[in-house]
Amino acid sequence: MRRLSLMLTLLLAVAGASSVLAQSKEPVKIGLSAAVSGGSAASGEAIKRGLQIAIDEINGHGGVLGGRKLELVVRDDEGNPQKGVTLARELVEREKVAAVFGGLHTTVALAQVPVWQELKVPYMGAWAAGTNITRNGQTPNYVFRVSANDDYVDRFLSRYAVDQLKKGKPGLLLENTPWGQSNEAGLTKWFGEKGVKAVGVERFNWNDPDMSPQLLRLKGAGADLIVLVANAPEGAQVLRSKSKLGWDAAMISHWGISGGRFAELTGDLSDGVTFLQTYTFFGKQNERGQYVLKVLREKYGVKEPGDVIAPVGTANAYDGVHLVALAIDQAGSTEGPKVRDALENLKGEYKGLIKTYKRPFTAEQHDALTDEDYVMVVWKGGKIVPISMK
Amino acid sequence: MYGLVALGYHITWATSRTMNFSQGHAVMVGAVVAYAVFVGLGWPFPVALLVSLAALALFGALVERIAVRPFFLRASPAWLLATIAVGIIAENVAQLTFGKDARAFPSPLMKKPIMVGSVGFYPQELLVPLVGLLLMGLVQLFYHRTAYGKQLKAVAWNPEAAGLMGINIPRAVMASYALSALLAGVAGVLLAPLLNVAPQMGTIIGLKAFAVAIIGGLTSAPGIVVAGLGYGLVESFTAGYVSTRAREIVGFGLVILVLVVRPWGLLGEKPARRV
Repeated sequence: MRRLSLMLTLLLAVAGASSVLAQSKEPVKIGLSAAVSGGSAASGEAIKRGLQIAIDEINGHGGVLGGRKLELVVRDDEGNPQKGVTLARELVEREKVAAVFGGLHTTVALAQVPVWQELKVPYMGAWAAGTNITRNGQTPNYVFRVSANDDYVDRFLSRYAVDQLKKGKPGLLLENTPWGQSNEAGLTKWFGEKGVKAVGVERFNWNDPDMSPQLLRLKGAGADLIVLVANAPEGAQVLRSKSKLGWDAAMISHWGISGGRFAELTGDLSDGVTFLQTYTFFGKQNERGQYVLKVLREKYGVKEPGDVIAPVGTANAYDGVHLVALAIDQAGSTEGPKVRDALENLKGEYKGLIKTYKRPFTAEQHDALTDEDYVMVVWKGGKIVPISMK
Repeated sequence: MYGLVALGYHITWATSRTMNFSQGHAVMVGAVVAYAVFVGLGWPFPVALLVSLAALALFGALVERIAVRPFFLRASPAWLLATIAVGIIAENVAQLTFGKDARAFPSPLMKKPIMVGSVGFYPQELLVPLVGLLLMGLVQLFYHRTAYGKQLKAVAWNPEAAGLMGINIPRAVMASYALSALLAGVAGVLLAPLLNVAPQMGTIIGLKAFAVAIIGGLTSAPGIVVAGLGYGLVESFTAGYVSTRAREIVGFGLVILVLVVRPWGLLGEKPARRV
C-alpha cells in the first residue's frame, strides 16, 4: 500500500513537472476563419496554404518566443456572418488562439470586428477588401490587414485609367451588392480627384445571363473604358455580351475575376482584360517568391505559376503570418493587447513576399498594403500575366 | 424559353391538378448531367443529350412517386412543399457532387456572334426558341393525335370516368411528370452554353417559368407559349429602355396584374361557376 502511494506521488510529480515543461513549450495557436467549403473554397484553401507554408518555415527556424511552435487551427465560416461570429468566439475562448486570420467575405469580416474588439485578440485580414473592415472607427483597433482595401483599389484603378490608359470617359459596371456600392462610391471619389466623371453607372444581379442592355447604355453614353466590379461568372457574361455587341472598348477590373473559372468560362474573350492583384507568381520572383513556389510545387503539386489557385490568398496570408510572428516576438507574449501594440509599432524591417515591410501598421494605418503595392495583370491565353507600369 | 419550362407546369396541372415546383431545378439537373457526360466523361454530345433526358424522365417520375402521389391520394396540398423540397435537395446534391462554381458548357454555336448591324447574337440564342417552339408543337401533337396522349387528356378532363374506362391514373400522372421534367431538361441542355452550368441556376428559371404559366393560364398550352415569348420581350425591353434593376419589378408586377384582372390567365379557361 505504501509503495503504491509512493509510486502515485512520483507519478504525480512527474506529470506536474512535464506540464510545467509543456506550458513553456506549448504551441502558439494561430486561427483561420474562412470559407473552406462551397463556392469560395478555393480562396480558403489558398489562404490555408500561405499560412501553413509560413508557419512551417517559422517553426523550422525555432518558432517564436524562444522555441514555441506555431500551430494552425482552421474553422470553416462558410461565408456566413453568423457562423463567423460563433466560431470567432470559439477560436479565442476554446482554442486560445493568439491571433486570427480572415477569409474572402467582407460581410463575415465586418460581423467579426466587435468580437475581436471585445475579446482583445488581433485579427489579420488576408483577403476581404471592404474599406470599413480596417477603418472601423475603433481605438485601440484590433483589426489589421495584409490585402487590398477597396478605397485604395478604386484610387489605383482610376489612376491607371487616367494616367496610364489616358481614358477620360469611364463607364462603371458593378454588381448590385454592397461590394458594388462601396466601389461605386470609391470610384466616383477617386475619378473625381482626377477631374473625370463616369459617363454611366450600370449594375447587374448575380447570375444575370445577359449584360447587353447595360453595355449598350454605356456605349451609347460614349464610354471609352469599362471599369468592372464583378466576380467570375458575371464577369464572363459581361465579356460575352460585349463581344455580341462587337464593342472593343478597353476593360479594367477589380480582382473578383481572378477567382472562379474565369478563363474557362470566357475562352479567348478574356484576352486583354486587365485587373489588379496584390501579388503575382508570374514573372521574376524574389527569394521568398522562389521559396513559396518551391514549397507549392513539392507539397501541393503546383507545376507552374498558372496552377497556383487564388494566388493573392496565399501571398497575403504568407506575409501576414510573418508579421504576426514578428509582433509576438517583439511583444514577448501572446497576450492580445501586447501583440496588437507590437503590430502597430513593428521595429526593424521584414523582407516579405509582396514587398519589404517597414513599420507596416500605425495607429491610423491598419492596411499593410496600399495602392503603391498593387500590381496590374492581364489575362492572356488563359493565364495571368503581369503588366509593367510606366 | 421560359415557355418550355412553363409548359411543364401546365402538363402536370392538366392531368392531376398538381405541379412540380422543382421544374427549375430539373433544368439544372438537365444541364449538370449533360455536362458530366459530355465534358466530364468526354462522350459525344448526342449520347450526353440522351443520358440527360433519360435522367430527367427518371427525375420527374421520382418526384411524382415520392413527393406528389402520397399527398395527392390523400387530397392534401402538401405536394407543394414536398416538390420544393425535392428541388432544394437536388440543388444541394449538385453542389456536393458538381461543386458550386459555374462551369462553361462548350458549344460550336457559341464561338462567334452573328452581327446584324451593330448588334449581334450567338447562333445558340436562335436555337433556343426554335427548338422550344418545335417541342411545344410535338407536345400538342402527342396530346391530340396519339392514343396515350388522349388517355392523358381524358384523365385531365374527368379522372373518375377515365379510371372507370380502365386508364391507370397514377401511371398517367407519373407519365405527365416525366414529360414535364423532360421538357425542363431539354431547356437545361439548350441553355447551358448561354448561362453556364451551376447548381444554383435553376431557382430563378423555375420562378420565372411559373410566372409565365400564371400569365398565360395554367390550363392553356398556347397561352403559355404566347406568355413565354411576351415575358421575354417585356424583360428585354425593360432592361434596355428603363433599367436592369426594374426588370424583375416589371416582370413580377405583371403577374400580380394578371392575377387581379384575369386570374385564370390570358388564354386560360375561366372556371365554370357552380350556382
